[in-house]
Amino acid sequence: MEIIETFGHTVEKLCEESPEKARTLLKTGWKAQGLKFRLFPDRRLMPADRYLAKLMMDTMLKPLKNPADSAIVSIFTPCELLLETGLSPYNAEAFSCYVSASKAEGFCMEQALSDGISETLCSYHKTFLGAAKKGLLPRPRCIVYTNLICDANLVTFRALADLYQVPSFFIDVPLKQNEENVRYVADQLKELAAFLEEQTGREIDEERLKERVASSSRSLKNYQQFQKARAGKYIPTDLVTHLYAGMTQNILLGSREEEKYTEMLLKDVEKAAPLRGKRIYWMHTIPFWSSAVREALAFKEDAQIVGCELAQVFDGELDPEKPYESMARRMVSHNLNGGISRRIEAGIRHAKEAGADGAVWFAHWGCKHTLGGARLAKKRFEEAGIPLLILDGDGCDQSYGGEGQTSTRLGAFLEMLGGAHE
Amino acid sequence: MSKLYYICKYTPVELLQAMGADCAILNEMPESFERAEQMAHPNLCGFGKALLESVLSGKVKELVLVNCCDTIRSVYDVLKDSGQLDFLYLMDMLHSGGTCSRERAVSELKELIEAYGAYRGSSFDEEKFRSAFVRKTQEAESHISVLGARMGEELFQMVSRSMPYPVRNESCVGNRTAGEVPTQQGLEFDGLLDWYAAQLLGQLPCMRMVDNTGRKQLCNDPTLKGIIYHTVKFCDFYSFEYSEMKLKAAVPLLKIESDYTLQSSGQLLTRLEAFAESLADGEREHKEKRMKKGYFAGVDSGSTSTDVVILNREKEMIAGIILPTGAGAALGAERALEEALKSASLAREDIDAVVTTGYGRTAIQFGDKSITEITCHARGAHFLDPEVRTVIDIGGQDSKVIRLDGEGNVVNFVMNDKCAAGTGRFLEMMARTLEMSLDEMSQLGLHHKEDITISSMCTVFAESEVVSLIAQNKAPDDIVHGLNKAVAVKTASLLKRVDGQEKFMMTGGVSKNLGLVKTLEEKLGTSLVISESAQLCGALGAALFAMDMVEETED
Repeated sequence: MEIIETFGHTVEKLCEESPEKARTLLKTGWKAQGLKFRLFPDRRLMPADRYLAKLMMDTMLKPLKNPADSAIVSIFTPCELLLETGLSPYNAEAFSCYVSASKAEGFCMEQALSDGISETLCSYHKTFLGAAKKGLLPRPRCIVYTNLICDANLVTFRALADLYQVPSFFIDVPLKQNEENVRYVADQLKELAAFLEEQTGREIDEERLKERVASSSRSLKNYQQFQKARAGKYIPTDLVTHLYAGMTQNILLGSREEEKYTEMLLKDVEKAAPLRGKRIYWMHTIPFWSSAVREALAFKEDAQIVGCELAQVFDGELDPEKPYESMARRMVSHNLNGGISRRIEAGIRHAKEAGADGAVWFAHWGCKHTLGGARLAKKRFEEAGIPLLILDGDGCDQSYGGEGQTSTRLGAFLEMLGGAHE
Repeated sequence: MSKLYYICKYTPVELLQAMGADCAILNEMPESFERAEQMAHPNLCGFGKALLESVLSGKVKELVLVNCCDTIRSVYDVLKDSGQLDFLYLMDMLHSGGTCSRERAVSELKELIEAYGAYRGSSFDEEKFRSAFVRKTQEAESHISVLGARMGEELFQMVSRSMPYPVRNESCVGNRTAGEVPTQQGLEFDGLLDWYAAQLLGQLPCMRMVDNTGRKQLCNDPTLKGIIYHTVKFCDFYSFEYSEMKLKAAVPLLKIESDYTLQSSGQLLTRLEAFAESLADGEREHKEKRMKKGYFAGVDSGSTSTDVVILNREKEMIAGIILPTGAGAALGAERALEEALKSASLAREDIDAVVTTGYGRTAIQFGDKSITEITCHARGAHFLDPEVRTVIDIGGQDSKVIRLDGEGNVVNFVMNDKCAAGTGRFLEMMARTLEMSLDEMSQLGLHHKEDITISSMCTVFAESEVVSLIAQNKAPDDIVHGLNKAVAVKTASLLKRVDGQEKFMMTGGVSKNLGLVKTLEEKLGTSLVISESAQLCGALGAALFAMDMVEETED
């Protein structure tokens, strides 16, 4: 950990002198990490999850290596069109996570705050904004974002477009699930296709797009099937694997790599050991940096996370023959879109499918939708027979503190689950 | 008949009136969020909690919300689950004003007509609809605008009372204009709704709209004299506009943040009054008294200490007293003034004018005038060193950074939010945890060996970090240095917000803390001016203002 801390400090210091040098150092550090994933993968993980760690690292490195061939996106932006025009998704939330994992998020957030940005803004947004302002993160070709789930996107990505002086495209997603709204979003996605063609000079081939959407559909189904199959199995896991899946099951849908990952999952689950320990379904982001959470749930045989809602955002059917309508439907009928009840019901459904004994509703600082629904979620999950812990914290800001409290709350919750099952 | 309440300017108020509703804006500030926090997470935006509190008090029976933001969406979810309302509706207004959005808005309007009609047993009355539109005119006059996030009615009244000009509420629902244009004649129902949707979406955009370039006109009015930029705790939208506007606004701008409760008005009042003082700088020349003995007193009543300065007509400090404030501001001020008079061998009647300042300034009865500590600190600092352009004052209760011009007038200032992080109180609490006095603490941290970072900015969590550092046997020097760094980071952030420029002067009791001063100097990369009278700076400024009040007479 101390090495990483020093790395973060060095990035910070270097950033003051020369943002380019700091970026190079960051890139080098991440490349080294990628190499480690390749040569010395974590043998405790199943092969699919080892592959996923590498895949994520590669996805993060692409925009750093070729920023002009990347587009900054918010996590729930459909990326099939980007991939089709040769742009790599440069995902804001994922970058903030990686900057935080490199212990460099503090000075980025400090920058955002001193610019006058509210301290109560989600720290994924604060970190990315600060890192962009500091020059640590490079200028993309363009920006594509949506208000889906997170309305802070409206202000953060607009500010990023101003800062980088690049064109941006906004996808407006209404709250209600109806055909009129699907058409409204599909029309916008067609405009997005034209926007991306103009930005890249590359044409989108409708047939290839259909194949991408078909791949998205297969990946989603494979993942769903895997989650159901894991109910009777023990699959060793850390805190980041579920987060990685939350990212790739959104921004890499339509890519061969993501489909391969989900195929590998289905193979792994067949070979997995029989079920043991308590099983937690996780709602919202996971504070990967928290030693209290790590000590309780990472690679533990007596308790582990068996699913995260961010990786299970759509349960419906896609029709690859109608690619725009399908992508639109995925947004409109996204499990987190609309009233909180839809989100809670999806969470309960997925928790049951994965055989969870309990659930954690992670009240991430700054996420108004998650905070607002916390009490209702507790009531509904428990009515459905799944004990739920509301855990306050921050997925990205390591200075959030309160580790002692996290440890007590989570520990007591796990003890309580143990008591209930013995 | 119960009222139908709404909160957002995109609400189709005229349409609801056409359906027989009696519409009113809901914008109250409650005493506390006791009921709201039982139903929702405390970290929800203050307005969302105020809304919950109003409904849970039983006052509201009909409520039409708009999906303004994630908080309002959540409030709708919670209220729907509570079953407390007779009619509750969430309009899904889209985020742009284009043709497609307008079509979707028309569908939304029709759905609302159906829902409210079914609830009330009424139908759309075109005549009522047309008569609901009322043309309004606003006179061009010098004014102050409240911009940013919505402002509670009670706070707006306080702002209006504090300012030297009329105040306009241009925040949120305050600048709703959809009902101010005459309806278009000769349109069928669908055409009329399409026209109405365009009126709603075509209003001056709020921050939730994708294209909000129209908001620039808010600060371009030639009769605008100043901006009070308001944000609500846990609402993030408007901090983005503020971060731009603070750099670009051509008129003075004050940023205030409220949590939507009636509490904490004391701290906001200080800021508002200081802002009003800075707007009315030219008007302070008025001489109200005639000179008698030629002695002037300034009393700075702070949360920790009460300071008194007495000046003679040559502006020489003939007394400077610092006493603990004790239980009451008024009593503390009396005692401190008596002490000061004793040390200068003067009697009460020798003082021609007294100006009070500081947190307790209005509680003191004997003052001739009270002026905020912000204006007084600036004046005092300028007197002590005319080259100073930025004052950093870390007090017991709050910390502030004040930018001044070459004349000692306040150009800009910021104060910490309602939080102890980065204030003297933070250091006091940490000293207690470390079982040392503040004096001992100020000596430590100068010779640290290990560079410890206290990562938490929250006072409570920072305290537990300190406890665990003690448990790890870390050297007190190193821990104190870590704490000093935490305060320095917070202070540097305030400095950046006002674009602090050299020379920097540090005032207030914390300026005696050598370790902190050194750390702050390192953080800023420059040295701080610390006058021997640093702690008396506010009282000194007040005494100078007292002197201004008195007209010199030829003896």
